[in-house]
Amino acid sequence: MVEALAVASGKGGVGKTTSTLALGMALADEYDVTVVDADTGMANLCFHTGLADADTTLQDLLLADSNAAVEDAVYDRFGLSLVPCGTSLAAFRDADPTRLRTVIAELAADTDVLLLDSAAALGSQSAVLPLVLADRTVVVLQPTIPSLSDGLKVQEYARSYGTETAGVLFNRVQDDAAIDRVAEQAERYFGGPTLATVPESDAARAARRAGEPLLAYAPDAAAATAYRRAADGLDLQDGDEDAVADRFRSAVIPEPP
Amino acid sequence: MTGPGAADLEIPRGRLVRSRVGVASALRAAFSRELTGYARIEPDSLLADGEPGVITFAEGVPRAAYCERSAGRGERGGDSHELGRGDRPVGSDSRGVDALAALAGPGPCSVELYELPADTLVTVHDAPEFSVPPGAPAEQLADDPALADRTRERAPDDAHDGDASALESFLEDEERIAAIQKEARAEAEQRAEEWGLDGELE
Repeated sequence: MVEALAVASGKGGVGKTTSTLALGMALADEYDVTVVDADTGMANLCFHTGLADADTTLQDLLLADSNAAVEDAVYDRFGLSLVPCGTSLAAFRDADPTRLRTVIAELAADTDVLLLDSAAALGSQSAVLPLVLADRTVVVLQPTIPSLSDGLKVQEYARSYGTETAGVLFNRVQDDAAIDRVAEQAERYFGGPTLATVPESDAARAARRAGEPLLAYAPDAAAATAYRRAADGLDLQDGDEDAVADRFRSAVIPEPP
Repeated sequence: MTGPGAADLEIPRGRLVRSRVGVASALRAAFSRELTGYARIEPDSLLADGEPGVITFAEGVPRAAYCERSAGRGERGGDSHELGRGDRPVGSDSRGVDALAALAGPGPCSVELYELPADTLVTVHDAPEFSVPPGAPAEQLADDPALADRTRERAPDDAHDGDASALESFLEDEERIAAIQKEARAEAEQRAEEWGLDGELE
């Protein structure tokens, strides 16, 4: 069984990587979970997981002349298989984003749930590819108009590639009184349910500074509890892993100009 | 028309202190120069409902907002920026947090900042229907939570603290959201072609 979920937001600063790792750790109680830092232009999963000095990362796998094997870039931490992405600008420039397809195909063959931490902006082929490759998206929002606007936009981009919304997550929530009304209204426009509303959390910031996912650093924090609730609400769909891998491999993408 | 008589809600044209800036830098500039006056916001978006609007300030803190909804765009030279006045049908404008919702969303804006004597804004600032929470413009128009926090700290204790939310008003506007979705879909399809991903479209 495998389902690939892109965790997307449409804008930065909403806590997308924190959310991806928290969902991953919560799902790992039941599933074999692989988290990929597919935000290759602004990689930061490594800083959330103490992998800033990792020898081999997704960046190496995306280089045309790379000899690295996919398994070299997979790190078992916090009960997850983590594929961090390096932050070298030169390597980002030289990377061939279309190779992400074969990397994802290989990872998909060996896990239950693939979470793709996706780019915040939608301005390039490499930023949109995770939305193309995923089965469904989880859209992370802050309860503000700019965030909702961008979330609607990312949902539309994903839908244009046939990738539907699995659910939305309201993060960094400050106004507890209003959020239920907002979430109910927002559900009319998003394809999936509101998975959880996660309160603004000092613990999340401290976890990031400590280089650990929130659920490892502060498992009893209110935000951590909310993320577990979100994972429970994700109705994961069985997929045929061979079919998923084939789908990733089969589509032909021309070389970038 | 409800609330105070429309004729009372007139803002005289102020002294232009800054022009051709985006909303975020305009709000930051208004805050740092402790502007008492108003910002005239003109959306550059191609969205059909991008209408001009006004946010007023007292010592850099946003106090009131108004957005035109339909008639009058580009025809309001005159000697004043009027709130809720003119020939347009009742219900065709928006006020307070509703006005913020109408002004928010994707697309760039051009903003001009004008300075005015504080006493010319008293009537507008005393009208609850135009009132906005001090931090709301920074959060909802500029996506700048740090500025919103600083603005709330400077705001007087009796500043707007109502329950109404610009975000809820935004989400109630189905036409506006449909326009955002339509524009995003068209942009996605156009870019798919540019990136050689059009074969993946459904």
